[in-house]
Amino acid sequence: MVPMVEPLVHMRGISKAYPGVVALEDVSFALARGEVRALLGKNGAGKSTLVKILAGVERPDEGTILIDGKAVALRAPMDGIRAGIATVHQELSVVPELSIAENVFLGRWPTRGRRVDWRRMQREAHDALALLGLHLDPRQPVARLSVAERQLIEIARALSQGARLLILDEPTSSLVAQEAETLIRVVRQLAEQGTSIIYISHRMDEIRKVAHSVTIMRDGRHIATAPVADVSNREIVDMLLGSAQGEGGSTRIFGQPGKFTPLLTISDLRVAPRIENASLEIRAGEVLGIAGVLGSGRTELLQAIAGLRAAHGGSMTLAGRDFRPTSLREARANGIFMTPEDRRGEGAVMMLGIDENLVMASWGSVSRGGVIDRAAMRRKVTASIRSLGIKLAHPGEALGNLSGGNQQKVVIGKALNAAPRILLLDEPTRGVDIGAKRQIYQLMRDAAADGLAVVFVSGEIEEFCEVCDRVLILRGGCITGEVEGSAIRTETLADLTTGEHGVH
Amino acid sequence: MAPIQSESYQKFDLRHFLSGRANEIGLLVAILVLYAFLAAFASNFMTLPNQLNILRDAAFVGIIAWGMTLVLISGEIDISVGPHVAFAGVLLASLAQSGVPLAVAALIVIVLGALIGCFTGVLRAFLDVPSFIVTLALWLGLRGTAQVMSDAVPIVIMDFSFQRLGAGWFLGIPTPAVIMLILFAIFSFVATRTVFGRSVYAVGGNAEAARLSAIPVARVRILVFAITGALAALTGILMASRLGSGNSGAASGLEFDIIAAVVVGGTSLFGGRGTMLGTLLGVVFIAALVNGLVLMGVDPFAQGIVRGVVILVAVMVNIISIKRMRGRT
Repeated sequence: MVPMVEPLVHMRGISKAYPGVVALEDVSFALARGEVRALLGKNGAGKSTLVKILAGVERPDEGTILIDGKAVALRAPMDGIRAGIATVHQELSVVPELSIAENVFLGRWPTRGRRVDWRRMQREAHDALALLGLHLDPRQPVARLSVAERQLIEIARALSQGARLLILDEPTSSLVAQEAETLIRVVRQLAEQGTSIIYISHRMDEIRKVAHSVTIMRDGRHIATAPVADVSNREIVDMLLGSAQGEGGSTRIFGQPGKFTPLLTISDLRVAPRIENASLEIRAGEVLGIAGVLGSGRTELLQAIAGLRAAHGGSMTLAGRDFRPTSLREARANGIFMTPEDRRGEGAVMMLGIDENLVMASWGSVSRGGVIDRAAMRRKVTASIRSLGIKLAHPGEALGNLSGGNQQKVVIGKALNAAPRILLLDEPTRGVDIGAKRQIYQLMRDAAADGLAVVFVSGEIEEFCEVCDRVLILRGGCITGEVEGSAIRTETLADLTTGEHGVH
Repeated sequence: MAPIQSESYQKFDLRHFLSGRANEIGLLVAILVLYAFLAAFASNFMTLPNQLNILRDAAFVGIIAWGMTLVLISGEIDISVGPHVAFAGVLLASLAQSGVPLAVAALIVIVLGALIGCFTGVLRAFLDVPSFIVTLALWLGLRGTAQVMSDAVPIVIMDFSFQRLGAGWFLGIPTPAVIMLILFAIFSFVATRTVFGRSVYAVGGNAEAARLSAIPVARVRILVFAITGALAALTGILMASRLGSGNSGAASGLEFDIIAAVVVGGTSLFGGRGTMLGTLLGVVFIAALVNGLVLMGVDPFAQGIVRGVVILVAVMVNIISIKRMRGRT
């Protein structure tokens, strides 16, 4: 399956240190033509430093890079592009107001004389996209395209620049299931045509579908490289986490069903345009999962409960009383708090301190007459940091300096400090590494054990098995199923959410 | 001291301390360099009367600059303050002329100033009109109103004891400078120790996250403009007192001196970042520079060029030094 001759890229003995941290230590990495390599590692394991060195964004302190067997010096991103290496980032770099064709040839528009040769550009852009199975009018603006299509435009751009190695950094993190399928198909097709691909992702099912081989990194070191078929998920997780957290595995601790008490009852809720008719019960002491594909209305459901979105029909009863929140403030006053899925955009203020972010939603408890009680704030922040298990240099440090997983823990800590009765978590584990995911699961279990009702929305169904007491299936705007306790299994949920065997 | 303290809070981290103050340290160095230069080349620069003079001039920039710092931190801008100062002075003088006692007139001017700020804030907060546009309209409108009210002729205020406010002394320090320093202490406290102050940073840093944390974003936005409006009115009163008249042509270009001082002081034009101490240093820097150029006898037209260049360099050095210090930690 993997054509093995002379590798396209060979990195040897790469080391890179930043002041105070060793990011890479004597890492070697080789990739054959047409090989798809999954690159795995927790945040901070060194995978992004490795691909940055390959792209010419960072320079190694030591080590050599061979391309086609010849040593090259990659000093700047242009060198990387010239050597045929292109990166497609998580944050897309397309200009929405420009046309598809202009984006494919961004900065390299074909010209005739001094004028842009529109016809040639459009023709070539069309051909470049057709190669990826995308048939779009190259004259329309990128703003009209979906995230998945924009990603393909970026890939088309990289290929038109003569890229022989594509680095895809979490390419499916914001895609719907079918879109992810399309992307995976494109990646495999490119590999067959001889393009090498480094595929960074946390999603095991995807990696199994797309990659030939997998490289695992931890603490700046190369741990293992093996054909995907030769290693089990279990082994991969153990290698990712190291010996410290390896054992224990999925420590699924349930709450005690006898102790769950109904808190919020929702009947026939309608939230235009996505929720048609949702009836459910949220119980104190329980972690409730809501499973549904992207666009199933799972975020809208949480927002309606949190007072961020008006319901168009149905009723809610909170602790026996009629509840119809018209504002975030009203929901807050009734003990409901929601953490948004977009951590950077909506969840926290990255340039403020960790301490301030932790008390941002509960200033009242650490101030008197609008003046901050610094001792009270310190106590609260210290207690939060301890219970969240955040590693930091100083509580006043900017939140943006923390890893994604720790940032997410701070966002959850902020919510917990607001002392809610119902905690709504919208994709709290998106983009965080496996170690941090487990800690976040533990935080949810702890909150439930303290008597909170925790509602957990996630796009990765295997997560529900780790943490939920009960999972509701949201499909076509309705709650179509409910799975409880040990019946919560990935296969069951996958069938129910995508409807393999369910209702059509 | 708190009974429970985390290890990380107790430990004094020099690097954290320095990286948090990279901007202020850089500015202090810049001011020292500027002072050394002016002491050597501008005669009489280092004399006590001249230094007190700088302090008095600084007050007319500094008082509004405290409010402007909050405006910029919240991610907004207010360019109407120069004309607002002129308008406040003219309004005060014409009220006084028509027999309103000065104290009452001053109170009216300040309350109206706050209301004008509220107007900007309401349009920004509820109708999403960019604050630059609203205050641009006010910039034109307030100067125009002042000119119409006074026929563009200074209205004399016939009360000599009133002149002591802007031109007088308190314990050997110019009165406006005393007011500026008291307000500095208050605003430093507000910015760092109050829920409102921290909410300003949160709104400027990420308005959506602030809203979802139940911070009253609209109220914060309105308040920062109201405060700045009141401070512009207060400066207008001080200036009318100093000049002995309400003058529709006063404070021309003041808004840019103020914004320059705040930005030189390290406050981000994009919001979320900035300190009162930085602004104080920025105000001192600008006031000393303006004063030094006059003493050196630089041609008034050329002064503009020098000020432009020096401000640009100061901001660039500041940004570079902050990046360096951050990179090191």
